[in-house]
Amino acid sequence: MIDLQLAAAEVFMVCAICVVLLVDVWLPDERRLLTFRLALLSLVGAAVCSAYYLPNGSVTAFSESFVTDPASAVMKIFAYLIVGLVFIYSRDFLMRAGLFKGEFFILALFALLGIMVMLSAHSMLTMYLGLELLALSQYALVAFDRDSPIAAESAMKYFVLGAIASGTLLYGISFIYGVTGTIQLGAIAAHFSQPGAITVPALLGLAFIIVGVAFKFGAVPFHMWLPDVYQGSSTPVTLFIGSVPKIAAFALAWRILSESLGDMHGSWQTMLAVLCVLSLVIGNIVAIAQSNIKRMLAYSTISHVGFIFMGFIAGTEDGLQAAMFYTLVYTLMAAAAFGMVILLSRSGFDAENLDDFKGLNARSPWFAFVMLMVMFSMAGVPPFVGFYAKLVVLGSVLDAGLIWLAITGVLLAVIGAFYYLRVVWFMYFVDPVDDSPLDAALDFRVVISANGLGLLALGLFPGVLLDLCARVIG
Amino acid sequence: MEGIYLTIVLCPLAASIVAGLFGRQIGRAGAHSITIAAVAVSFLLSAYVLKAIAVDGAATYNAAVYRWAAVGALTMEVGFLVDHLTALMMTVVTFVSLCVHVYTIGYMHDDDGYQRFFSYISLFTFAMLMLVMSNNFLQLFFGWEAVGVVSYLLIGFWYKRDTAIFANMKAFLVNRVGDFGFLLGIAALLMYTGSLDYVQVFGHAERLSGESIEIVSGMQWSALTVACICLFVGAMGKSAQMPLHVWLPDSMEGPTPISALIHAATMVTAGIFMVARMSPLFEHSVTALSVVIVIGATTAFLTGLLGLVQNDIKRVVAYSTLSQLGYMTVALGASAYAAGIFHLATHAFFKALLFLAAGSVIIALHHEQDMRNMGGLRKYMPITYWTSLIGSLALIGFPGFSGFFSKDILIEAVHASTTPGAHFAYWCVLIGVFVTALYSFRMFFLVFHGEERIDPHVKSHLHESPWVVTVPLIALAIPSIVIGWLTVGPVLFGGFFDEAIFVLEEHDVVGELGAEFHGSLAFVTHAFVASPALYLAAAGVLVAWFLYMYRPGLPGQISEKIDVIHRLLVNKYYFDWFNENVLARGTRCLGGGLSRFGDQMVIDGGIVNGSARVVALLSIVVRNLQSGYLYHYAFAMIIGLAALIGWLVVEL
Amino acid sequence: MIATLLFYAFAAVLTVAALGVVTSKNPVHAAFFLVLAFFQSALLWLLIDAEFLAIVLVLVYVGAVMVLFLFVVMMLDINVEQLRQGYTRYLPLGVVVAGVVILEIVHVIWYRSQGLPILSVPTSHGPDYSNTKELGAVLYTEHVFAFEIAAVLLLLAIVAAITLTMRKRPGLKVQNIAEQVAVRSADRIRVVKVDAVTDAKD
Repeated sequence: MIDLQLAAAEVFMVCAICVVLLVDVWLPDERRLLTFRLALLSLVGAAVCSAYYLPNGSVTAFSESFVTDPASAVMKIFAYLIVGLVFIYSRDFLMRAGLFKGEFFILALFALLGIMVMLSAHSMLTMYLGLELLALSQYALVAFDRDSPIAAESAMKYFVLGAIASGTLLYGISFIYGVTGTIQLGAIAAHFSQPGAITVPALLGLAFIIVGVAFKFGAVPFHMWLPDVYQGSSTPVTLFIGSVPKIAAFALAWRILSESLGDMHGSWQTMLAVLCVLSLVIGNIVAIAQSNIKRMLAYSTISHVGFIFMGFIAGTEDGLQAAMFYTLVYTLMAAAAFGMVILLSRSGFDAENLDDFKGLNARSPWFAFVMLMVMFSMAGVPPFVGFYAKLVVLGSVLDAGLIWLAITGVLLAVIGAFYYLRVVWFMYFVDPVDDSPLDAALDFRVVISANGLGLLALGLFPGVLLDLCARVIG
Repeated sequence: MEGIYLTIVLCPLAASIVAGLFGRQIGRAGAHSITIAAVAVSFLLSAYVLKAIAVDGAATYNAAVYRWAAVGALTMEVGFLVDHLTALMMTVVTFVSLCVHVYTIGYMHDDDGYQRFFSYISLFTFAMLMLVMSNNFLQLFFGWEAVGVVSYLLIGFWYKRDTAIFANMKAFLVNRVGDFGFLLGIAALLMYTGSLDYVQVFGHAERLSGESIEIVSGMQWSALTVACICLFVGAMGKSAQMPLHVWLPDSMEGPTPISALIHAATMVTAGIFMVARMSPLFEHSVTALSVVIVIGATTAFLTGLLGLVQNDIKRVVAYSTLSQLGYMTVALGASAYAAGIFHLATHAFFKALLFLAAGSVIIALHHEQDMRNMGGLRKYMPITYWTSLIGSLALIGFPGFSGFFSKDILIEAVHASTTPGAHFAYWCVLIGVFVTALYSFRMFFLVFHGEERIDPHVKSHLHESPWVVTVPLIALAIPSIVIGWLTVGPVLFGGFFDEAIFVLEEHDVVGELGAEFHGSLAFVTHAFVASPALYLAAAGVLVAWFLYMYRPGLPGQISEKIDVIHRLLVNKYYFDWFNENVLARGTRCLGGGLSRFGDQMVIDGGIVNGSARVVALLSIVVRNLQSGYLYHYAFAMIIGLAALIGWLVVEL
Repeated sequence: MIATLLFYAFAAVLTVAALGVVTSKNPVHAAFFLVLAFFQSALLWLLIDAEFLAIVLVLVYVGAVMVLFLFVVMMLDINVEQLRQGYTRYLPLGVVVAGVVILEIVHVIWYRSQGLPILSVPTSHGPDYSNTKELGAVLYTEHVFAFEIAAVLLLLAIVAAITLTMRKRPGLKVQNIAEQVAVRSADRIRVVKVDAVTDAKD
């Protein structure tokens, strides 16, 4: 296949973005729904391209700056799915908040393009460009609600801190380039596989790169933007940035740390372990004191990041597969969780506080159940898929002999279960503060129910996804 | 044959389940019919088995029926060992149980828990049968515990009475102490022989007597002795030997039929049966036998004395039971296992009879149990009177009656025994004969003769008990008279227990006695000449007559004169005082202290709630790290970066 | 020799300019310091024959970006006093942390890099060498994918900027030429029949 065919999904996405953009410019406000539908269609189209032009094994293109392999294809398709969920969940909220502008979908598609580029990056430069593409769209999305001062504040914080992190990442990349003389990930890996190639300058570059990676993930102590940005953005934006970019962060860590700098595993393992423990501790403990659910979910994200890191720390194939599984599962859970927050919102009222979940069972037993599934899955309670995610990650850590890390993870997961169960407690055992019935479109309700049930189904039959991860990565 | 054994065991269980769960549906008549039918079937089959084994000479049956689990090399199964000893026990148990079942129709006639009672006594029959038919320690323990549980249920049958609840807890807890020792004994045997099966364990007996076990460092004890003593502790609990005897008198809180069934004829004899069954083990440990005989003798004598000062008719019989159990234990200790078992069998009949007769009196007097309010009942209740007389005569060892044979041979055996402590035991049991006669006839005279101290209202309704009550009395009276005469020869001296009971040649006192045994009649006439027991018994009767018929005021005066001794007896040697005030209260205080300090303060407060509070506090503190200031955030990132690089630089 | 001297000179000025950006009290001064820093970077790149990049740096960064910066700085009425609050409070800690990081980097580059192969200075090319042409040759072939992504990035920037800032202010009078041209006379004129002469009513 020629290069363009291998990059068919990306090419299609660029074209789709342009088409949607132009169509949206000429649409009158009342026909805006067309943009929404076109955006969804472009997702479908991209999925078709990704699936159709899939080679066997790993193939590079564009002079080694682009790579297609089954893993990236799987993750891209997952990303399309989640972005589709985001669009469906967000539509009504945006309409009610007066934010239903075509730019939302276009910016989201740009971000998705950035993720796709990152997934298929085979050189440091491409990776960085994809990262910037994603980051820039996210900065704009966070500030999307122009009339909200806290959105503007969050966007500023995200932008500045993101710029620092990007700068650090670039500095690290430059050190690696200085040591190896190349920016191709494959060539870098080849360089470091030679004995004695891991010199101190290379490790210095590694340290800077890890800062960049950790910032993207939201690991402590580079996590500070997370709570403010999640809380400050409008909920559909939080939904977007809380779910899909984790796949990008995984891609970043996987391609750079695992694949190209894999021989330095001994060094970055320790660094990641420290970040992992800190993330687990801070994430779980501070989440307990939160009363805003978006902030609480932000801190919980930090703790989940700790678990994803565990998969990398293990350093084995199993660990990497476990980290991928966890990431994919996490995006599903996060999408459902934030989707539920959107569900509870009505015009002029953003359901942000834990109080808004009180008595949900009395208002709508089915959606209280859906939220219960999501919360239990996040807490890691069987038979939901969150349990299996934690299980495989902890298993890989144990197999690698890092028993203390597994114990820490388990202990903190237990502590962390509190705030998830608190939500369940509020829903079922406390009287509702606000008695009004839930108001959401049919497709939203159907899809989010399917999302929640999906967590249960994947939990009952985790083998499907686990096998997929095992086959494509490692 | 396996089918027959299973039927014998399972019929009462099935009847118990039906009467228990569906009592309301099948009604009173249904409950008693099904349980009596079941126990009757068991009895008939047991009699058949006894005939087959004893008369027809069928082989001993020892096989597993059901394998429950296998843990490593150890298999745990349900199995039956049916030999002469078992067959005898089975017959006794089912016969007495049948009589009690029929009796209960009359006794519990007005009670609300009618069906429940029948369910319980059938369940008990099942448990007791499992115990005696067992061929391994695990099943033995199961039966042991099961009879304990049912005994608890039955003693506290009238659960709304405080005294009944107190009594059933006491019985259960004291038995627990015994069971603890029992379990240690079984564990010791398992540890040293690797098996729970009787035959396999017995095979190791001689080897074990040579092996030593060091429980307290520096002190070596024979493994077998330790195991046997531990087993005997269990027997002490179940068969109410001192100091674990305290529960038996309190168990009289239960209805009289169960006093007869459980606390006279069957459950309390489980300990005796167990020691006899374990004779292959005990025989190799003289120390254990010595312990057995001394404890048995002490119990026999001291509890007999207590029977002299009781005013409750059932208590007298209860202490009598304690005393007789002591006798059986003494026989076991003297290696006269056969004599002990024989006494067990005869005692079952006449003691059950005495209990049921007492019950008959009680219901006739509308649940009056104080003997001071009875007297002169002979006129009103002839059948009860005559059967009581027969029972009492059998108890004291009147020549020719069954008790005579079993007791006299027992005393002779103890006399001839070489077990250390046998001499002391001999004097205990001998004087005990006098005491037995004294309290037996004290009771007899107070209840049936002398001036009528009955409440006039009750007296106006006074009449003989219904046939469901009196027929069992008669049914039990007959064996009380004749069974001794008829069976002493074949059972004790005819090699009846040869396969079941193992006696070392040097200990074989029964064998020695057997050499001089020339038939029942000869034995009776011989007794007049050579047995001091006979005359002691007669003396006891005379003294009783003197004190309670001739000079009724005398006992009161005597008790005033020997006030200290009298108070000691009335307070049951202060055993109960010690148990309640020292042991029970001490344990409660300890429990309360541990609960308040250990549980509430440390675990709940400190660990559970404390850890939650710490996390919450930590959370609030760390939350403030997120200041909201952008430059703080950037600073944190730079510090993180510096730390990462620093680590890297330092590490290398 | 001269090259090395020049390198150190430019690097020193660059460092001072960068420090000046951070420490200046006046934002316009800071912007000018930044311009100086960019100039120095361009000079450094000239020293290694990367003339295209050097010129583009000046043209784009100084000519476009910094001009825009200065426009914004001069238009916004920034209260510098408030912004500079806490400066002396945090200065010591900031200096310490910065010092630590600098020390660590210096330590790694200087001391721990002994014996490592050093990339030699790139060979000097003749006067026909065109950096621009070389860059172009690589940019549109080897790095075409990255180039395209960069282009998409620019598009994104446009979209983002417009999304965040473009507002239609109410009450604004805007001309819509298409509408004006499409007007028909019937929309503007209404012919009314009125009598030429009417008597005055008494």
